[in-house]
Amino acid sequence: MIPNSSVSRRGFLGLAGGLGVAAALAGCGTSGGSSSGGAVTGTSVAVLPSTAPATWNAVLAKVNGKLKGDLGFELDAQFINWSNYQQQSLLKFTAGEKFDSALQALWLNMAQLQQSGSLADLTNEVGKYKNLSATLPKKLLEANSWDGKLWGIPQVNSAARVQHFVIRQDLADSLGFSTITDFEQLERFFYAVKQKNDGTVAYGAASNSGYLHALPVPTGMFNAASWENPDTIARAFSGKGMFFLLAKDAAKTGSTAPKAFWDDEGVVDALHRIRKYYNDGIINADALNTDAATLKSQWTAGKYAAGWAMTDGTSSNSLSTLQKAVPSAALANIMPLTGGLSAKPNQTFQADNMVVVNSKGGHLDRSLQLQDWLSIKENHDLITYGIEGTDWEPAEGNKFKPLNDYAFPGYALSWRTSLERKSLSISPTEEKIFDWAQNFDNFTLDPLASFIPDTTPVKQQVAAMSNVITQFANPLFYGVVDVDDQLDKLKKAADGAGVAKLQEEMEKQANAHVKKQS
Amino acid sequence: MQQRMTTHKENPVDSAVPVYRAHARQSRKQRSRGSGVLLLLAAPGIAWFLIFAYAPMAGLIVAFKNFDVSKGIFNSPWSGLDNFKYFIESGDAPAIVLNTLVLNVLFLAATLGAGLALAIMLNELRARVFKKFMQSAIFFPYFVSPIVISIILQVILAGAGGHGGAVNDALGLFSLPEVSWYTEPGPWPWILTIVKVWQLGGYMSVIFLAAITSIPEDVYEAAMLDGATRARMALSITMPLLKPTAAILIVLGVGRIFYGDFGTIFAIIGDNGTLFSTTDVIDTYVFRSLRTIGDFGTTAAIGLFQSVVGFILVTAAVLIQRRYSKESSIL
Repeated sequence: MIPNSSVSRRGFLGLAGGLGVAAALAGCGTSGGSSSGGAVTGTSVAVLPSTAPATWNAVLAKVNGKLKGDLGFELDAQFINWSNYQQQSLLKFTAGEKFDSALQALWLNMAQLQQSGSLADLTNEVGKYKNLSATLPKKLLEANSWDGKLWGIPQVNSAARVQHFVIRQDLADSLGFSTITDFEQLERFFYAVKQKNDGTVAYGAASNSGYLHALPVPTGMFNAASWENPDTIARAFSGKGMFFLLAKDAAKTGSTAPKAFWDDEGVVDALHRIRKYYNDGIINADALNTDAATLKSQWTAGKYAAGWAMTDGTSSNSLSTLQKAVPSAALANIMPLTGGLSAKPNQTFQADNMVVVNSKGGHLDRSLQLQDWLSIKENHDLITYGIEGTDWEPAEGNKFKPLNDYAFPGYALSWRTSLERKSLSISPTEEKIFDWAQNFDNFTLDPLASFIPDTTPVKQQVAAMSNVITQFANPLFYGVVDVDDQLDKLKKAADGAGVAKLQEEMEKQANAHVKKQS
Repeated sequence: MQQRMTTHKENPVDSAVPVYRAHARQSRKQRSRGSGVLLLLAAPGIAWFLIFAYAPMAGLIVAFKNFDVSKGIFNSPWSGLDNFKYFIESGDAPAIVLNTLVLNVLFLAATLGAGLALAIMLNELRARVFKKFMQSAIFFPYFVSPIVISIILQVILAGAGGHGGAVNDALGLFSLPEVSWYTEPGPWPWILTIVKVWQLGGYMSVIFLAAITSIPEDVYEAAMLDGATRARMALSITMPLLKPTAAILIVLGVGRIFYGDFGTIFAIIGDNGTLFSTTDVIDTYVFRSLRTIGDFGTTAAIGLFQSVVGFILVTAAVLIQRRYSKESSIL
């Protein structure tokens, strides 16, 4: 017999309410610690993108043994896969988690975090750490300061960042293109690869980076005008999304007159060129659905004749894996600037990656002590290349020979221009470009270099336009749709999303910045 | 009986009241002890729901706040309905809501239909080992990760590098032109429906098969004596008796009709904007917005909107079911 089992409604509500209040109180509680003075102990938690390197445990044990002996604390690197890094790292700040530092960037959420007070102000801190200061050139710190304030330690291994091409030199040689110096020659090489018809696709592109094909930053991969005159850097409110091109003579006239990227002749010409490439089979037709990891595996399997490269000296690193699939493979880097390496492209000298210190749950001194410790060559080499003799061995000319697949994301913690070693497999062309990118004097400081737009007044328009760009502009950046028809759709959707307000706000802020600088 | 009546006649009230009171006291005591035991038994479940389902709902207030990372959810300033305005005024809302509903109705109808058909076919198989093998084989896709499904689909529809693929090769055999599947939004609701049927058809069939086993054998024997064919029995006995199971699955499905099966759709479509016009659903929109703008307020507002409409739909589905098919109603 089961007795009447009705549970008192009042009792149930009481229990539920009690637990709810307890949970709410727990949620309202202190959400994080704060920096404290005194002796530095404990563990410095660093939030890093990508995955732990193959022999990370052994390297970390060695790092921590030395770090504990030198400074009295240890390192705990928390790796988050790139595909989730943006949301998860933001959540860590939001939830008031206790960690010292994280990788941030303008193209992630750095502006949002800075504007909300989540980042520690490092302006007057770096100077207190001598090893760190010694590895950060004054120009680099100036370029990475926002309105005179430094919010992160720039992680760079070169002074400038100019996107360009890495190509299969073995294919180029076999097709009669042993030296490629300009964009026109490069285009002919693409079509020669296509005509050879052996299944190799001329250029491999990955999803989520299509804007780099058309927009000048200062070079756009398929923007021929930008290779002729690399003097414009397109701007967006949150580093990505809706880009505007500002007047080149803004510093003189005081008027930045931003125009939407679709109103720029060079960009529209690039969009038509990309469409032609897509129709002619020059770029991979599945680029919109190909993630970076898949593209990398296809590249090292020898499926493509060319790909994207940055002036960080790392594109030759894929050669050893590529040669397993194609033993005769050779790589070369092509910077098809009309004026060659003397073209002096515009640069903001802003780092693509910064180590920021968590102002709520982080320990400022410990974070910077770690950065300082990593600015010593021996420590830098240990974390960046692994254990000497096991993971790498030194080679002539400040180079290193990798002995296994150890690959630490140095760009997220330990990159220092003066301490970096080049890979022994670096191609002569990449070495030349990498060396060129080390010198600030090879570039022109962009008139709006330190301009960081504030997203707060147009938060909703930025969000709405971000969706519009994904839906209507991305297909254009990969050439999968008719340009004129899609541009009409894009403009219509942009009007609805409030692009006029974004343009107006960009102009207001950029003009104010120029006025302040003059 | 006579004796009892006499007793009642002799002392109808005085003797009955104390007995009733004693019973009432005992029964109240038993009830309260029983309630306590049941409450204790239910406590872990209640606690689980409170902690993991209801307490986190406190975070929903972020939908009404101008979220500030450094201030957190509870200390950020209130913003009224501004976050809802973003979704409603963006112009995306009607298309996304429509996509969510259309895709889920297609998924629900197709998976239920396929599950029912597969269950009836499996039920007709007499070779036990073959039946078990077939059951396992059609159930297997349920365990395949959406990422693997997306890769399989790419090979079938686009091939390496975006050209070719098994379907295009087949079209070529009939001298038909190659289709660039990943840039044509039109066929995608159907492609996704086929994927869902492949993924969930076997799973649904197992639920229907379990219900079929509860149909008494006598009913089929009687039909056989009347000369009914297997097809007639399936149509006139099995299918009508599976109505309550189908009704439960429909109500459960309607309850989730505003949830766009994020895993499968995002794994297959990703950020391919050309396909958004027919495939972008609320979940993928929310995820993309969160990933690209990092604003929890607006994304939580869309999520809350999704939950409220979902709740209204499931309530409506239950009420309609009660009205038209009370015997198969679950609530």
